[in-house]
Amino acid sequence: MGGWDVLLSPVILFFVLGALAAFARSDLSIPESIAKGMSLYLMASIGLKGGVQVAAAGLSVEILLAAITGLALSFLIPVPAFLLLRRAGRLDPINAAAVAAHYGSVSVVTFVTGVETLTAAGIPPAGYMVAVMALMETPAIIIGLLLARRTSGAALPTRGGLFHETVLNGSVVLLLGSFLIGFITGKDGFAPVAPVFDTAFRGVLCLFLLDMGLIAARRLQDARALTARTAALAVLLPICNGTIGVLTGALIGLDTGSAAALGILAGSASYIAVPAVIRQTLPQADPGLYLGMSLAVTFPFNITLGIPLYTMLAERIVGS
Amino acid sequence: MTETVERRRIEVLVDAPLVKSVVRASEEAGIRGYTLLPTLGGAGAGGRWSDDQVSGAQSKVIFLTVTTQAKCDALTDRLAPILESHGLVLFISPVDVVRAEKF
Repeated sequence: MGGWDVLLSPVILFFVLGALAAFARSDLSIPESIAKGMSLYLMASIGLKGGVQVAAAGLSVEILLAAITGLALSFLIPVPAFLLLRRAGRLDPINAAAVAAHYGSVSVVTFVTGVETLTAAGIPPAGYMVAVMALMETPAIIIGLLLARRTSGAALPTRGGLFHETVLNGSVVLLLGSFLIGFITGKDGFAPVAPVFDTAFRGVLCLFLLDMGLIAARRLQDARALTARTAALAVLLPICNGTIGVLTGALIGLDTGSAAALGILAGSASYIAVPAVIRQTLPQADPGLYLGMSLAVTFPFNITLGIPLYTMLAERIVGS
Repeated sequence: MTETVERRRIEVLVDAPLVKSVVRASEEAGIRGYTLLPTLGGAGAGGRWSDDQVSGAQSKVIFLTVTTQAKCDALTDRLAPILESHGLVLFISPVDVVRAEKF
């Protein structure tokens, strides 16, 4: 399976089914607590598997380089995104900063779906990309808050509060924690828990994406805060950021799958970790806007078109 | 007949990540007891909303407390400036309670 064939994989088709069901006003729904449980399962699973792969391959300079690059991207991407949102999107400083923070951070589910499609295409990304993803979760929040303060004078939380909300963010703790467990236990330690964390993984991902299709489509239907401009930017930003990610990955010498994964990470926008933190730290920002852009437009775009696009770009630049 | 005393019942509809702000304001107003209630969904000025545990940003909670008029006023004064920016919905109503010393 390669290129655009991934659009016909069960994972993507379940997402499309969810979206179609929501558009058709079906009463199909997945209980919220089960959806929350599935997201925790997916994060623990991807973290564990990444740690096991790094334990097998060993630590290297390449890992350090990828980690530094990921961190740099997460710190830098919000700045041009903020300027674009201010000028082209005509957003006020607070909302532009809040949205920029989402686009500098990453979407775990987009990454997990990307890893699945890249693996199916025969170009699996390196296991350490999971750790890169975890590192890219929160720097953008700090930059987003600083942008909000510099441009609008918005109050920032205390250092302790910011540290708690970013570094101890639940998804970061679970991703890095399970990555560390996988790294410590290695392949032998992973074998007994593999039936839960590996065998069932794709099936759970299908169900989770079914729910995400429902949520994204319903949010799009109710997205009063979205305008044609912000919706267009929600497509333009991932394309620009994803391209930067792939190019940077190629520049530091990543293999095709890992460069594509870095593009997927850079092109994705958070809708799990960042919204709750931004709601708390920048309450004046409109959650309908940042969730509408990241969840209702960018996420479906990346799942259906973005991932094949970044993969194709990586294949062209790095080679297949 | 059991004696009842009038108190103020305060309900605040608040996004889950902002509950701490409301609890802090109530503590500053001298209110010690409160209950947090989950919600399923609804509709308002920003459109329809529903329980959202995946992002958690727009899950809404009802902060419920019963207190004296003085403490009610103190809490209202603290919440009034952030009602708009934090998207809070505040209700205050009279309520008769038994065991007035508890509230």
